[in-house]
Amino acid sequence: MKFKTVAKKMLSAAVVGAMVLSLAACGGSGDSDGGSSDGGDSGDSGDGVTLEFQQWWGVELPDGALADICQKFTDDTGIKIDLLSNPYADTKTQIASGAASGTMADVVGLDGSWVYDFAKQGSIANLTELMGNASYDDSQLSSQIQFEGNTYMIPVVNFAYPMYANMDILEKAGVKELPKTRDEFLAACEAVKKYDDSIAGWAIPLSTESPSGIQNQFMTWLWASGGSMLKDGKPNLEGNKELEETVDFVKELFDKEYIAAGANSMKEPDMVEEFTNGRVAFMTDGVSHLTTIKEGAPDLKFDYITVPTVEGFSGTSGMDVANWGIGIAENCEHKEEAWKFVEYLMSPEVNAELAVLANAFPGNSKAEPDYSSSDELFVKAYELFQGCEAINEFTGAPTSEDLMRSFGEELQLYLDGDTKSAADMLKAAQERWTPAFE
Amino acid sequence: MTKGKKLLTPYIYLLPTIILMCILLIIPIVMVIGYSFYDNVIINKNPVFVGLENYTTVLSDPVFLVAIRNTLFFVIISIIAHFLIGMLFAMLLNTRYLNVMTKGIFRVIYALPWMFTASVIAIVWRMMLNPNGVLNYLMTNMGIISEKIEWLASRDVALSAVTVINIWSGYPFYMISILAGLQGISTDLYEASALDGANAVQTFFRITIPQLKPILVSLLMLDFVWTLQQFALIWMTTGGGPVNATETISTYIYKQGFSKYQYSMASAGAVILLIVCTIIGIFYVRQQKAGD
Amino acid sequence: MIGKKKVWVQVVIIILLIIGTIWAGFPILWMILNSFKPNSEIFAWPPTWISENFSLDAYKAIFTNPEQVRFFINSYAISAIVVTLTLIIGILAAYAFSRFNFPGKGVINTIIVAVQAVPPITLLIPYMSLIVSLKLFNTFGALILTYMVFTLPYAILMLTGYFNTLPKDLDEAVMIDGGSRFKALWSVLVPPSIPGLVSVGMYTFMQAWNEYLFALALTKTNDMRTVPVGINLLMGQHAYEWNQMMAMSVLGSLPILFLFLFFQKYFIAGMTAGSVKN
Repeated sequence: MKFKTVAKKMLSAAVVGAMVLSLAACGGSGDSDGGSSDGGDSGDSGDGVTLEFQQWWGVELPDGALADICQKFTDDTGIKIDLLSNPYADTKTQIASGAASGTMADVVGLDGSWVYDFAKQGSIANLTELMGNASYDDSQLSSQIQFEGNTYMIPVVNFAYPMYANMDILEKAGVKELPKTRDEFLAACEAVKKYDDSIAGWAIPLSTESPSGIQNQFMTWLWASGGSMLKDGKPNLEGNKELEETVDFVKELFDKEYIAAGANSMKEPDMVEEFTNGRVAFMTDGVSHLTTIKEGAPDLKFDYITVPTVEGFSGTSGMDVANWGIGIAENCEHKEEAWKFVEYLMSPEVNAELAVLANAFPGNSKAEPDYSSSDELFVKAYELFQGCEAINEFTGAPTSEDLMRSFGEELQLYLDGDTKSAADMLKAAQERWTPAFE
Repeated sequence: MTKGKKLLTPYIYLLPTIILMCILLIIPIVMVIGYSFYDNVIINKNPVFVGLENYTTVLSDPVFLVAIRNTLFFVIISIIAHFLIGMLFAMLLNTRYLNVMTKGIFRVIYALPWMFTASVIAIVWRMMLNPNGVLNYLMTNMGIISEKIEWLASRDVALSAVTVINIWSGYPFYMISILAGLQGISTDLYEASALDGANAVQTFFRITIPQLKPILVSLLMLDFVWTLQQFALIWMTTGGGPVNATETISTYIYKQGFSKYQYSMASAGAVILLIVCTIIGIFYVRQQKAGD
Repeated sequence: MIGKKKVWVQVVIIILLIIGTIWAGFPILWMILNSFKPNSEIFAWPPTWISENFSLDAYKAIFTNPEQVRFFINSYAISAIVVTLTLIIGILAAYAFSRFNFPGKGVINTIIVAVQAVPPITLLIPYMSLIVSLKLFNTFGALILTYMVFTLPYAILMLTGYFNTLPKDLDEAVMIDGGSRFKALWSVLVPPSIPGLVSVGMYTFMQAWNEYLFALALTKTNDMRTVPVGINLLMGQHAYEWNQMMAMSVLGSLPILFLFLFFQKYFIAGMTAGSVKN
């Protein structure tokens, strides 16, 4: 408390000084903020409310698509939407620093892995409350991401992570059946290696900078075979037999040199380049890359499969999903209007439209996206997805990124032979995960 | 009255600097120092004063100790290489064996690495050092290596690779500053030295180095401080990995603050860096005084 | 015999020049070559040098996008203002450090050295709160002040160093002749320090031109953004526009290159030498 008052006093003293300074130093160059970014109409005048919507989706969607969708909302309600579109990593930095300094935009795009921390910090608003105020029927939402029993993020669209298979390579290597089990997968990798030593069977991005490979490429093996890394919301790594098997399976892939070189500093886009250039036979990756790969290598023949499971597995496979989620800033002054906007994006028609544009699956269970003009491979991926259970245990977990990073480091130590056994490795990872869940 | 005015004069010259630095630098630093004594600020609405607890936690974290070791390697090798390469190129471009045109062309070529932002440098080097990148291609073709090296992905090589990238991006700063400094050395001194029969090496150590000393000291000190907190380059090439192979103090601080949201820990780490650099600053000022 | 020695020295120099050129220039060459390739070819093995599909598409994409052009204009404006202000304030401060002894000199000097040590990333959160309460968030003013703060310590230290190499009797002579201190500073100390000013100015310009983190955090809308942020806009969540990133990096470095070419003459030997010492 005391520290805060001191800081405040210093700030106010500083304000006076810096005002003088900024006037002297930079003349009029500073005073062009506010809503003047779009042709100079001042946002707050009259009846119209302007909401800032910060997300990375505008960068990923076709040019202008998101703006069109928002314009329709403005036409219906008179509420203006100011789009602040930045790449994923930049959006994260901006939202994180905005959360700490109270400058977060009114409505924000969220990743499932950020929710816990922002909710705990009190910088994103409780949506359960807003839904209640608006008497919204939330049964149509396919999922809600919660913190302490309340919803803070709603997934707008979902991206599934099936496995890509390079059919050209597999054909030449003599792999006739696409693998359904881990053993078949190992055999396929062996065939590829025999056919051409410079082609890897599989790739995993383990860069410490963006450790999402643990979520999207490693844990997918576990989830596909019905395994789980959490138990009652707490880490369940140590003594988890299924996880141990998965770790040893990936270790086997490494030891037999089936895995693309440079894994320890590889990032997801690097992995996609390896696949596009025909140096990797299989890749676990988001369907969102479909267009990128088709553009980069129009002649490449590839197909989707579900991630192979352990021998004799007969349950429903889990398929990893990543999502574009939405939330409302706690510092937003027009929460009611902001909720209207969220409701609009989640309405079946708009949601379906967004899903088609994004090459993703809708977050509203009543939405019926029209994929008829989409790529037939995409339709196949959608079918695979519907046969699986959508899962991502990192969504809503505390400091998810750090969990992935510490797990990744322990995994690298085991792969390099520094840790004796998978059990020891998981024990060490469990020790690093536990404090975050307390 | 004139005496009073004379006493005030230096402060008047310093006034804009002092105002600017106090408001925009000292206040945030003081706030960071404040954070470092509290229990998890930002996340906690009402942080509790915990004294030096954050410091003991950070200093007893084995990862932090690894980070210190890596940072020392990174900083010391970088500085030495920056200095040697910068000096060599500056001398090369200052020799009388080359004509003005040639000097001009090479001056631009050698200064090129200076003109790019850290994220661009990181991207370009990541492309080149990729296991399937151009460097491995050239080296295998020339028979220098027999199989592809995982430059950034191997725990044995990564730190050296990152250091080389930093050396590449940093030496032009020395070269330019030394070149500028060389212009300030009187030709009389060189002529006198030549008359004494001194050879090139003797002249270099007797005239050039002593004459450049004020600039060199500033350069070395600044470089030390900057390299110590080099973040973008390391973060965007390896992220501090594999495992902790390239973890430095700045990547450690970043992970604490922006990945674990342990803002107090990050602040404690920053304050430790601040203390180290304050000590360097004191030495620098002493040295300046002694030089007067 | 002297002639023989000269040839030998020249051979060594030429060899060194070539090695230096490869070391300094190869990564840049690779960047330029890649900016002309289609995206899919950038990671091809074996690597291609001049692509069969050589194209200027990446450059076209940047020039036809008004948003990207805007980034360049913003960067020019901000960097130019920062250089001017930093040099003026820096010269004044360096003069005080170089020519006066006053209480607190050591302390202020130490602070100036030490504050550079705090990794900017750790200052980001408190700094942002400060900028927000100064109502400077999402303005050029915020970026200009920020870059001044980051470049001033360096400018002061280096300029103090340059001024220290100039003998005191030079400016004292002006004052004995009845000139003011101010006149002594501008007419005697500044002119021979021009190479130093140019190198400090270049450095300042590059810092302002290349800074990324604060440019990202302190601005919100794209009309306030600078080139480095623009380059990162090309890194999607899933896919990078490698060739465009390379093209924009090449374009982004051109202004600095031109500045460098333009100010080259200040580094040429003999221009200031002799007039300064003794």
